[in-house]
Amino acid sequence: MSGRMTFGMVDALERVTARIRFSQDSSVPGMLHAAIVRSTVPHGRLRRVDTSGAWTVPGVVAVVTAADLSRIPNLRPVYGPQIEDQPVLAHERVRYVGDMVALVAAESARAAREAAARVVVEYDPLPAVFDPIEALRPDAPLIHELRPEELHRGHAVYFGLRPIFGTNCCHHFRLYTGDVERGFAEADLVLEETFHVPAAQHVAMEPHAALAYWDDGRLVVISGTQTPFNTRQILAQLFGLAPEQVRVIVPPMGGSFGCKVFPRIEPQVAVLSYLTDRPVKLVLDRYEEFVTLTRHATIVTIRLGLTRDGRITAKRVLAYWNTGAYADCGPDVARKGGFGSVGPYRIPHVAVDSYCVYTNLPPAGAFRGYAVTEVVWASERMMDIAADALGLDPLEFRLRNVLHDGEQFATGETLHDVHFQECLEAVARALDWAQGSRERSSEGRLRAKGLAVVMKGMTTPSRSEARVGVDRTGQVTVYSSTVELGQGARTVLAQLAAEPLGLPPTAVHLIDPDTDRTPFDNRTTSSRSTYMMGNAIRQAAEQLAARLRELAAERLEVAPDDLELKPGAVCVRGVPERCVSWSELVTATGYEELQEHAIFRNEGGLDPETGHGIASSHWHQGAAGAEVEVDPETGQVRVLRLHAAVYAGRVVNQLMAALQNEGSMIMGLGSALFEELVYDAGQSLTTNLSDYLIPSFLDLPTTLSHDLLECPGAEVHGLGETALPPVPAAIGNAVARAIGARLTALPLTPERVLRALRAAQEEAP
Amino acid sequence: MGQLVRLIVNGEYHDVLVSCDETLLETLRDRLGLTSVRETCSIGICGACTVLVDGRPVSSCLLLTSLADDVPVTTLEGLTAPEGTLHPVQEAFLAQQAFQCSYCTPGMILSVVALLAENPNPSPEEAATYLAGNLCRCGSYLRILAAVQDAAQRMHQAATGKPTR
Repeated sequence: MSGRMTFGMVDALERVTARIRFSQDSSVPGMLHAAIVRSTVPHGRLRRVDTSGAWTVPGVVAVVTAADLSRIPNLRPVYGPQIEDQPVLAHERVRYVGDMVALVAAESARAAREAAARVVVEYDPLPAVFDPIEALRPDAPLIHELRPEELHRGHAVYFGLRPIFGTNCCHHFRLYTGDVERGFAEADLVLEETFHVPAAQHVAMEPHAALAYWDDGRLVVISGTQTPFNTRQILAQLFGLAPEQVRVIVPPMGGSFGCKVFPRIEPQVAVLSYLTDRPVKLVLDRYEEFVTLTRHATIVTIRLGLTRDGRITAKRVLAYWNTGAYADCGPDVARKGGFGSVGPYRIPHVAVDSYCVYTNLPPAGAFRGYAVTEVVWASERMMDIAADALGLDPLEFRLRNVLHDGEQFATGETLHDVHFQECLEAVARALDWAQGSRERSSEGRLRAKGLAVVMKGMTTPSRSEARVGVDRTGQVTVYSSTVELGQGARTVLAQLAAEPLGLPPTAVHLIDPDTDRTPFDNRTTSSRSTYMMGNAIRQAAEQLAARLRELAAERLEVAPDDLELKPGAVCVRGVPERCVSWSELVTATGYEELQEHAIFRNEGGLDPETGHGIASSHWHQGAAGAEVEVDPETGQVRVLRLHAAVYAGRVVNQLMAALQNEGSMIMGLGSALFEELVYDAGQSLTTNLSDYLIPSFLDLPTTLSHDLLECPGAEVHGLGETALPPVPAAIGNAVARAIGARLTALPLTPERVLRALRAAQEEAP
Repeated sequence: MGQLVRLIVNGEYHDVLVSCDETLLETLRDRLGLTSVRETCSIGICGACTVLVDGRPVSSCLLLTSLADDVPVTTLEGLTAPEGTLHPVQEAFLAQQAFQCSYCTPGMILSVVALLAENPNPSPEEAATYLAGNLCRCGSYLRILAAVQDAAQRMHQAATGKPTR
């Protein structure tokens, strides 16, 4: 196996010379620029939208409110991937600060923004709710009126949607196994704690950018999106078109981390383009990024039943996901976080209720780690609290309960290729775990270590398709809808196509996602692409190699088995001069290009009532460990060492894998220490990098390292996220140990750490 | 209403009529089509729009174009020689694969060019401090620090003909 490939990105030269074109760099002749008028109140009735001021700005071509949408025949002005609850433009009512009220198109971006600022909107404020638990109370204002008879299921909901009608809960996920009450009765000790994770921002360096134009009744959208086919489907439904009448082209992105999953601004540019009959481009500014999509603020309560010898008898979880004003993929986040909250442990009695709840805050959706960062914080902090209560070493306590190959998860599925123990042990080794836990440095700082383990599902069921072709010049081309967002998809997929054909990856031409040219793929999310799309591409490339061999066998009059593939030619084994070029073989068929198509699927799904079934066709597994130093005077946390161990199955590209792990850990470090979106009565107080910090060079731990665990013959496991979710919990466990306090809320700001430390000192005898 | 400004960008002269509140970022990106100059925060924190003004790294989102009159401005496009030869810092970024999405790369490379002009042999700590105003959300920091060391060596070797360290 070529498992140690370490070459760099196939498009590296484009990147260091900035010749790479992101979606924000797209342009077409005659295009207009758009800007959005956004709500300034968290919940209100729209009394009046006065657009007259906007028209006074030179260069303004269109000012569009919800009323103007009726000029588009067949438009269904509401959309959403899982629940169709989001209007193209707010009509009658706004639901959060940042909600889209009107659109402007102008000859320049400057004019569009200027004009948008001159639109005057008057509101009648409505009672608003911001906390998911308050939003579930019977007297809470209803943000959407979902009804069973007209539940607008989005096309991207692949599981049983269970809203609690008449409340703000848009999905209730349940997972019940055994009998928790019996489990607690059997326990020697029952512990309960509530944990909080704040909303967070992706801060992709490149903002959302989309360009739309209409071409003879067809809609063309160029957009940085992780979901080309979902976006095509949603746009088609919006305009009453067949999906084939919509074309979505996806240039590489300057980062995404989940914020470009499902349509964000594509419907709006498409509407503006229709109404102006001109191409329209929109690039969001940073304030808009902060109100466009967030990570769910989450409240998780865990009750754990334990025996004195350190076994878990029962686990009860209540999780509340603050999904903001529109559901987006929140129902799936509540679902994945629901089964994720159980953790990789042997627990006979489990009951999970996970609620996705509307509030008057910006919508929350996909975020790298997808629900698992939140539940790992709760579940793995709880494991340390339990270990302390039992007087057990946290590593030892985990190892007593962790799942092994062939054991059943709470969903009833039998797990295979299980490596949680190895991941934990690798982290313990890297941190010299056995050597003392809590110490005081010469400057009076408190030092300790902590660790955490992660079990993360991959979207199941799903499908990836790929085509690999060779043309009359012998050029090999891969047609794939996996998007490039900085993870190195172009490189890894070119590599997987090149291997069966005996080519260097740089010899393979890759077509970027374009729904007119590249075949169907579920989406580039869930760390699924290297495995799912990789398998489709490898299979298509193998089929192509076999076909070339068959054609050459006829031509050279030998058995296919006696032939071998060389770059650009097929030769008789051991007779290097008896060859026929791919170019000749393709030309002889009369086709311009010989193509092979392959489909790769994973199967499964959960029963919506019990949560039983196959949650994930295979599992992303990892662990992280941290050594921290806390200044007891200031509460400042310094991470000295951070290590992650991730199960890769088989590493496809060592370099890309390392970058994914390092990037995930650094993102986790930000979540652990400072990333937090703050709102006051629905108004965002964190609207740019001045108020919302992300890790810089100066935040790097003294040592940042990782292990990639492999197994001969194992399946490739995606690596895009696994090292992130255990990092905040590992750091939190280390800080809690260092200061001897119960920490339950992220991030671990100096203020929060200091308060916990003071509280612990007051409690101490 | 506008002001005529003579810009010297990557050695070429451009006379542009700009409004008094137009930023250098807008002029370079939107008028001159230099897409290496990239906007992220627009408030001078992230470093993505860094250009060299008279050799010094500047957030082009904060500099009014009218204040860049007749001063040499270098963007990433200006680092590569016309025949395509890369600058040693670009070579080092390539060799160390010091990027993921590479959106921050132009600003990062220009800041490293400025760093090495001030301090040809920086320690990793000095480099980290100097580059703290350039953010990389993908978290390629370790490789960027490796690229700084690599670039320092390449530039030392080019200047002296001898490898360093």
